[in-house]
Amino acid sequence: MTRRTNLLKSLDWWTILLYALLVFLGWVNIYAAVYNEGHQSIFDISQRYGKQLLWIGAAGFIAIIILIIESKFFSAFAYPTYLFMLLLLISVLIFGRDVKGARSWFEFGAIRFQPAEFAKFATCLAISRYVTQYNFKIHKIKSLFISSLILFTPMALIVLQGDAGSALVYSVFLLVLYREGLSGIVLFLGFLAALLFIFTLLWSKLTILLLILSVSLIAAKLSGLKWKNFGLGILIMGAFSSLIWITGKILNLHFSSYFIVIVSMVLCIIPFLFFTYKQKLRNVAWIILISFCSLFYSFSVGYIFSNVLEQHQRTRINELLGIESDPYGAGYNVAQSKIAIGSGGFTGKGFLNGTQTKFKFVPEQSTDFIFCTVGEEWGFVGATVVLLLLLTLILRLLILAERQRSSFSRVYGYGVACILFFHLAVNVGMTLGLAPVIGIPLPFFSYGGSSLWSFTILLFIFLRLDANRLELLR
Amino acid sequence: MPIKKDIIWRVGAIYIMVLLIAILVVVRVVVLQLFEGDKWRSKAQTISQRDVVVHANRGDICADDGRLLASSLPYYQIRMDFRASGLSDAVFRANVDSLALKLSRFFKDKSAREYRNKLWNAKYHTKSNRYVLINRRRINYNELKQIKKFPLFRMGKNKGGLICEQENKRVQPHIDLATRTIGYLLEGEGKRHVGKVGIEGAFESELKGIDGISLMQKMSGRWLPVNMVDPKDGNDLITTIDVNFQDVAESALHQQLIKYNADHGSAILMEVKTGAIKAIANLGFDSETKTYREIYNYAIGEATEPGSTFKLASVMALLEDGYVGPMDSIDTGNGIYSYYKEKMRDSHYGGFGKITVQEAFEKSSNVGISKLVYEHYKNKPRSFINRLYDFRLNETLGLDIRGEGIPEIKYPDDPTWSGVSLPWMSIGYSVKQTPLQTLTFYNAIANNGKMMKPRFVKELQYHGDVIQRFDTEVLKSKICSSETLKLVKNMLEGVVLRGTARNLRNTSYKIAGKTGTAQIADNNKGYAHKVYQASFVGYFPADDPMYSCIVVINRPNKTKGFYGNQVAGPVFKTIADKVYAMTYSMHPVKDRKDQSEPKVPLSLNGNKKDLDEVFDALNFVVVNKEIPSRWVMTSRKDSIIEYKYRRVKKYLVPNVKGMGIQDALYILENAGLKVTVRGIGAVNSQSIRPGAYFKKGDRITIGLS
Repeated sequence: MTRRTNLLKSLDWWTILLYALLVFLGWVNIYAAVYNEGHQSIFDISQRYGKQLLWIGAAGFIAIIILIIESKFFSAFAYPTYLFMLLLLISVLIFGRDVKGARSWFEFGAIRFQPAEFAKFATCLAISRYVTQYNFKIHKIKSLFISSLILFTPMALIVLQGDAGSALVYSVFLLVLYREGLSGIVLFLGFLAALLFIFTLLWSKLTILLLILSVSLIAAKLSGLKWKNFGLGILIMGAFSSLIWITGKILNLHFSSYFIVIVSMVLCIIPFLFFTYKQKLRNVAWIILISFCSLFYSFSVGYIFSNVLEQHQRTRINELLGIESDPYGAGYNVAQSKIAIGSGGFTGKGFLNGTQTKFKFVPEQSTDFIFCTVGEEWGFVGATVVLLLLLTLILRLLILAERQRSSFSRVYGYGVACILFFHLAVNVGMTLGLAPVIGIPLPFFSYGGSSLWSFTILLFIFLRLDANRLELLR
Repeated sequence: MPIKKDIIWRVGAIYIMVLLIAILVVVRVVVLQLFEGDKWRSKAQTISQRDVVVHANRGDICADDGRLLASSLPYYQIRMDFRASGLSDAVFRANVDSLALKLSRFFKDKSAREYRNKLWNAKYHTKSNRYVLINRRRINYNELKQIKKFPLFRMGKNKGGLICEQENKRVQPHIDLATRTIGYLLEGEGKRHVGKVGIEGAFESELKGIDGISLMQKMSGRWLPVNMVDPKDGNDLITTIDVNFQDVAESALHQQLIKYNADHGSAILMEVKTGAIKAIANLGFDSETKTYREIYNYAIGEATEPGSTFKLASVMALLEDGYVGPMDSIDTGNGIYSYYKEKMRDSHYGGFGKITVQEAFEKSSNVGISKLVYEHYKNKPRSFINRLYDFRLNETLGLDIRGEGIPEIKYPDDPTWSGVSLPWMSIGYSVKQTPLQTLTFYNAIANNGKMMKPRFVKELQYHGDVIQRFDTEVLKSKICSSETLKLVKNMLEGVVLRGTARNLRNTSYKIAGKTGTAQIADNNKGYAHKVYQASFVGYFPADDPMYSCIVVINRPNKTKGFYGNQVAGPVFKTIADKVYAMTYSMHPVKDRKDQSEPKVPLSLNGNKKDLDEVFDALNFVVVNKEIPSRWVMTSRKDSIIEYKYRRVKKYLVPNVKGMGIQDALYILENAGLKVTVRGIGAVNSQSIRPGAYFKKGDRITIGLS
């Protein structure tokens, strides 16, 4: 049963206001970032600020169209849209144009268009649709498999385009799925994996090994292993180690400590499995499995890092972790960005007065590093305002999502909020030197038609769904 | 309700995560902007502005006519940045082979394959690949232009990774001319090259200029100068060196060194009135390259026992003190004389017997001169030495160029002074002088007793404007009395006219000078090994001296010769001849009347009618004027012209030698010959001999000169 309501009345105007403010501030800051004295008019369409105004106008148009469309359309056409986007992602691999090492743009004359941006809302629609199907059960292997497929397909295609940063965005759907009942362990494992990734790069193989070993032992103890068995296990492991060490000495084989530890660990699986069996502790078996998986993972991280990742990705990660420091090379953007933001101080240097900005120290300043302009020219006050606006928007979306009656709308809302949040955290994080430099834009702020439109579509579909929340009773 | 609780828990967790991360970001902003603000602001300042030293151009060193002797040229070292932002793998791989090939062809030191491996390894297997040296060799500007067209490199710095490092290299265009005296640069503080040797070193402060500072500001991604303290280029130095004379001195010395297998030698040419050094050549045998090169400034730096050239000072002392006159006699005996246990010998075997003081000097008798000095000064050696000191022989010249050899004339209270010191010092042993010091002394004689300081630089110029002229400096205004001067000048001329250097005598101008043949210690081996130093020092033209010159040749192969007149003299003569030939002011002016009215004009053979016209017009008397011939030969006799027959017979080749081209062509072509002409002037050869038979149309070539 549905009920007709006035669209204008049921729209969430607070969100629209936040959106408008952000877009406006973005435009002003793009003007400052690419300002040049030869073209002082902010409406000069030969410049980026002029063009951005065109994109903004178009975005408004798109928003209105979305609001006019019947809200059922979105859930009904979720899959077709998704498939169409996949098609675009595939064809961009074939017909796309190389821009800075990534083949992720279509080019029609002067207009360029990045399908990866639009794949976000399509994927969001598709996953919302799938998760809310009546036969979806989050703990069923089949459901998990299909939802992973929905997420990983666009992700893989985007990675193939050479735009790993945009692909990473899709990892936020884990949060969405968590909200819909995914086990916290998955999140936790994801968190562990990230942690281990960083540790693997920072520390030696032996250290990682010992770390995994001690964490597993502590975990085993905590899950109820008796002191007796615990001590016995350690003793056996020590015995194995010494035995291997002595054998090595006698046979004059130079075993590395790493080798000794790992072989004793493998040999100790048997006694520990025995203890678990005796004490009937299923968790310890899990711990053994996880620790060996982590070991394997840690190997593959090393391998992937040095063989699969591109040089620039490696250096960016190394730069972030402080392993390498090259403020004039890979670390240049971040170094310049930190200087720009840091030198802004409390109130900033004033509009169009940022020296870092004016003298073009920060590459990509109108797109990925737009936050620098805010930080430098508007200072702490400006940066806080922008951050608060974005955060308020995200929290507002979460609240809106929670009040949905339709689970499709709710999941979609979570998706929007999480995508925006990921962009905010990583984009601002990278300008502050907190996150690796992956080229993803700051929502509504960064220069570029594709990203502005895609965020607009993403947001306004949700607003349309939200406006309809009272019409749908379920 | 566990489901509701679960959802609340999950939503809560998400909220908390979002907030935590948001807080992390905000904290970071707070730290960056509020706590570290000052640090970043100062960093922004330093990173957006920086001072860059703008090196001043070093001044040039020029010859006296402004020709370049030393100048700075830019050279480049080629490096490559393999992590240049625009240098993608695809671009690198597509171009690496062709680049390697080009590099290999350009530098010719490695194969294309080796270059390819080098580039490949630098790109993919080296950590520090930001600034890789491609080749050690420094290339010049034209070569750089070539390199910039190579694949990859032509994409520039950001895409192709080409980095060219400019260095200024000091270049002497006249490769070996006075190299040592002009000097060179050595690496000084902060890797900058600083003049340390020769004129480069002496005038470092003038040449180097003042570096400027440029305040650079980063604008639109590029560094642009915003404020600049301009560098001031170094001053150009105009030296006294004459490139032509220097060339003569260098090549004459070189030939003689080769001829006598000598170890090294030097030659200096000085302008008498000013002390200006017009040429200074130093050549030593370089055992590595087996050639003679400028490897040490012997002329300035090497103080050796001068030998007989020092006798001038001894004779001057005797004359000044009035102990002898030139016509006094001295018994040189059989050419051997003993002081204590040491025997002194004359080089002339058997001695000169009883001779005059003048002869003793001209013939360079060791016994004669030493006996005179010993006789008069043995009881008061101090007064002899004081005389020498009066001649300023014990002091350095105070040159700007560093490394002047220190003269040595010991005083009687020196612990090494002995009974034989005086006689041996009198003939130029156990004293030390550099060639330049000896020359300065002789130059003073030529300059009527006024001792000039050797002068290497005339003036400083800045971009063509003279900013400082260096005055001539007088070391001593009169080193001896005019009477003595007159007498010794006569003696020095006598050396060439009658004495040891008769081989230098010539008819065009007079040379005055003194030979020197010294036995010198062969490094550590002492005198036993008998190595020689041959020298000649003097001035010319003797009547009105313009230039003084010294030639010193060390360790000639003694089987080929070692006497000063024989080894050093010819170099002196060659230099003097060339200088005389090139200096018009030195030529004695002939009687004007003589010149303006030549008695008879020079005339060629030719058409009689033409010649008649000329001679009639000039009112010359012509003998055989009525000779019945169309063509005549002319000859001069005192003031009279005489015509002679010149027969032109059919079928016999006419004689056209001595004719002008017009007449020669007329005769030959009329006779029916085809003529080819070579050269200009009067006919001096013809390819078919006069009087030979010929056919019409035969070819004949006439040479004109």
